[in-house]
Amino acid sequence: MISRRFLFSFPIFLVVYLLQEGFVTQMRLPAGGFSLILIFTLAWASMSTPEIGALTGFGAGLLMDLSETSPGPLGHWTLVLILVSFVISFLSYGDDHVRANPLNIVFLVVAGVVGAQLAFALFGLLLGQQLGSITQVIFVCLGTAFWSAIVTPLLLPIISRLHALVFGTASRI
Amino acid sequence: MRYGGDNRGRLLLIVLIVTSLFLITLDLRGVQVIDGVRTGTQTALTPVQRAGSWVVSPFRNFLSDVTHLGRTRNQIEKLKADNDALRLALLNRKVADAELKQLKNVLDLAGNGGFKVVGAKVISQGASTSFTQTLTIDAGSKSGIYTNMTVISGFGLVGVVKIAYANSAVVQLASDPAFRVGARIAGTQQIGILSGQGTRKGVLQLLDNTTEVKVGDAILARGSNNGRPFVPGVPIGEVTAVDNSAGAVTQTADVKFYTNFSTLGVVAVVVSAPSADPRDALVPAKPRPTPIPTVTVTATPSASPSTKG
Repeated sequence: MISRRFLFSFPIFLVVYLLQEGFVTQMRLPAGGFSLILIFTLAWASMSTPEIGALTGFGAGLLMDLSETSPGPLGHWTLVLILVSFVISFLSYGDDHVRANPLNIVFLVVAGVVGAQLAFALFGLLLGQQLGSITQVIFVCLGTAFWSAIVTPLLLPIISRLHALVFGTASRI
Repeated sequence: MRYGGDNRGRLLLIVLIVTSLFLITLDLRGVQVIDGVRTGTQTALTPVQRAGSWVVSPFRNFLSDVTHLGRTRNQIEKLKADNDALRLALLNRKVADAELKQLKNVLDLAGNGGFKVVGAKVISQGASTSFTQTLTIDAGSKSGIYTNMTVISGFGLVGVVKIAYANSAVVQLASDPAFRVGARIAGTQQIGILSGQGTRKGVLQLLDNTTEVKVGDAILARGSNNGRPFVPGVPIGEVTAVDNSAGAVTQTADVKFYTNFSTLGVVAVVVSAPSADPRDALVPAKPRPTPIPTVTVTATPSASPSTKG
């Protein structure tokens, strides 16, 4: 069962990764734009069990680490996304109050994106990465939160359907 | 009811975290396999990015036109399609003209400095979600581009080649917070270190506190041994503010980069340093104010007052 789910999930995330690297980064959106794979991962995690959430974060984090523009060492985004995806799925899974309203999922994803960026910055500081001024970090985080809040509601039905396809209709929003 | 987790779940989480920490350690220790995986990924991604650049570029500019497609009446549809095609051709021409102008400017700068350059097109901009400022160009080691080579635009310094792949290269922009370049002030030749701040503004830290630096001073690259990572004389930017705080150990100044990093389409990588330092020859000319003609009218009273009959 797990291998079947992995078999279906992997190509989905690979396509999202290629879309992110090949197309989204070309758009040059102001204020930092958004990360398609980050939104996709966190929304996916919000519909999954904490174990699947952590595994999803692991896979997506590895893909993000393989990106040419990832400044940190391999494993940097992986570590961040394992933790954030686990927390997101822990907060949402099994809690009908959260899952009943798609706005809650959107809020969780946007908060997760900002949380992931801040965690990435924090681990980056520990690893000696140069981040620029605090103002710039806050500006990028706010910009990404803005774009994520716009993009997530548009993507949520697609993610929900794909998740239902892989894990069964019970998780569909 | 909220999910509580179990031992199996906790064990999985710990295994995943340990794996990621293991990967970080391996990468920081410089294990070749990790570099190989990244290089392989980039080699595989380059065609996708090229395709993305080709697809997104006109789409970005024609989003409004695309919304007009799908009308029912044939005549209107045909006219609109013709119109769209003409506008697309016109915009493509404008894009090509803009790229040609950028290429001409960068070749002019390289020619004046005596730099041997390889031209390249910007195919991707790095995600700033990682707090870095990079871009990817469509030329790599097959075109003679290697790490630590200076990248310039028609206006001046763009950055430095961080990673060179076979057919592409990642350029660290001068605006990147981790970017540092030895700089000198044109004219006075005072030296300092300029660092990126994540925006179009950099900070110049002068090594000599007695140096006098003024708003409007041009900043140039000092140059490195054998021209790598930086060739000498490349214009970087202009001083916009000076911090003369009493008691400061060093004097600092804000510098606005000549290059607008968000509009870069074509850049050049300096593959060979000039035989002689161009000194201040590449400092861009100051814009000359256009004189505003003034007309003075002087009323001269006549000798005798006129009377109306």
